[in-house]
Amino acid sequence: MSIKIKLHPILQKLVGGQEVVEVTGHNTGECLEDLENRFPVIKQMIRDNRGQLRRYCEILVNSKSAYPEELTAPVKDGDQIDVTCFFAGG
Amino acid sequence: MLTENDLSRYQRQILYPDLGEKGQEKLKQSHVVVAGLGGLGCAASLYLTCAGAGHVTLIDCDRVELSNLNRQVLHYEEDIGEKKPFSAARKLVKLNPAIEVTPVFTKITARNGRSIIKGANLVIDGMDNLKTRLIVNKACVAEGIPFIHGGVHGLFGEVTTIIPGRTPCLACIFPEFPNRELELPVFGATPALIAMLQVTEAIKLLAGFGSLLTGKMLYFDGDKMDFTFRNLVKNQNCRVCGAQRV
Repeated sequence: MSIKIKLHPILQKLVGGQEVVEVTGHNTGECLEDLENRFPVIKQMIRDNRGQLRRYCEILVNSKSAYPEELTAPVKDGDQIDVTCFFAGG
Repeated sequence: MLTENDLSRYQRQILYPDLGEKGQEKLKQSHVVVAGLGGLGCAASLYLTCAGAGHVTLIDCDRVELSNLNRQVLHYEEDIGEKKPFSAARKLVKLNPAIEVTPVFTKITARNGRSIIKGANLVIDGMDNLKTRLIVNKACVAEGIPFIHGGVHGLFGEVTTIIPGRTPCLACIFPEFPNRELELPVFGATPALIAMLQVTEAIKLLAGFGSLLTGKMLYFDGDKMDFTFRNLVKNQNCRVCGAQRV
C-alpha cells in the first residue's frame, strides 16, 4: 500500500529536498513512523519528547485536517498526507 | 476629508485608479492595530504609516535588544533597553506627523485581548509565537475584526487574511496552544517581505478593492525563491469560530 506524504517546505530540507515521499502504513501514525525511520532527523521537528505531534504541526489527509486524529486517521492506497508546520517567528 | 498636504503626500498612490481619493480617505479614517513590533511589526507599521493609515496602535511587551537589530528596522542601537512600542512610535510620528500613533507597552493575554483591539478596523500579526497569535485570533473573531496573519522561519514565510464569519480562522488550522516554543532563526529580509504582503492586503481591505488572501495560505520559500498556495478549510467544530465555539 503506497501513501504519499507531502512535506511542508521547511521539512523538505530534512529529506534531501524532496517535496513528496512515498511511505506505507494503515493510518497516519504508521505512515509518519515509516517516514521517521527513513529520515530520523524529521522526528525532532514534528514530535515532542513524549512522541506527541508538536502543536505547530498539522496533518491533513487528502487536504482535510485529521485533527484530532492526527496520528490515528486511517489511510488507504493512493491517499496523500500533508505535513505542515506553522511559521511562528516574527 | 483629505487635506492639500494629504493630496500631495499620497499623490502617487492616489493615481492608482482602484484607490483614488476615495480609497485614500478610507485609509485616513482607519484604525490598524499592529500586534508585535519585531521584524514583521516594524516593517508593517512603517509602510502603513507611509501609506496614510490614519491611526496605528503599536503593541508589544518587550524592550529593544541588540539581537533584534538584524530585522527590526524601527529600533536603532541607541534604543536598546527602550520599550519597543515607544521606540517605534517615535520614528513613525517623525515619518508622518499627520498619523495618530498609539504605543501600548503590554503583554497580550486572553484577559485583555478583546479590549486591546476593540474598535480597530484591522489587526496585523507581528507576533513571534503561536500562543499569542491564537489569543489575538480569538479576540478578532469575537470582535469581528479582520486579522492579517504573517509568520516567518529563516527564509520561509506565510500569509493569510482572516475575515471572521467568512474564512477559516487560525484555530481552524492550529487548534491547540503549543506546549513550548523554540527560538527560531530569522533573516531580516524574510519578515520584511512578509510584512509587505500583509500591508498590501491591509490597504486593499481598508480601501475596499482587489482580491484578498482569504481562505488560502501563501507560502514563501526564500531558499528556492518559490511562492505556493494552500487552500484552507474551515473547521466546522472549531472552538473559536465553529460549532464548538466557547
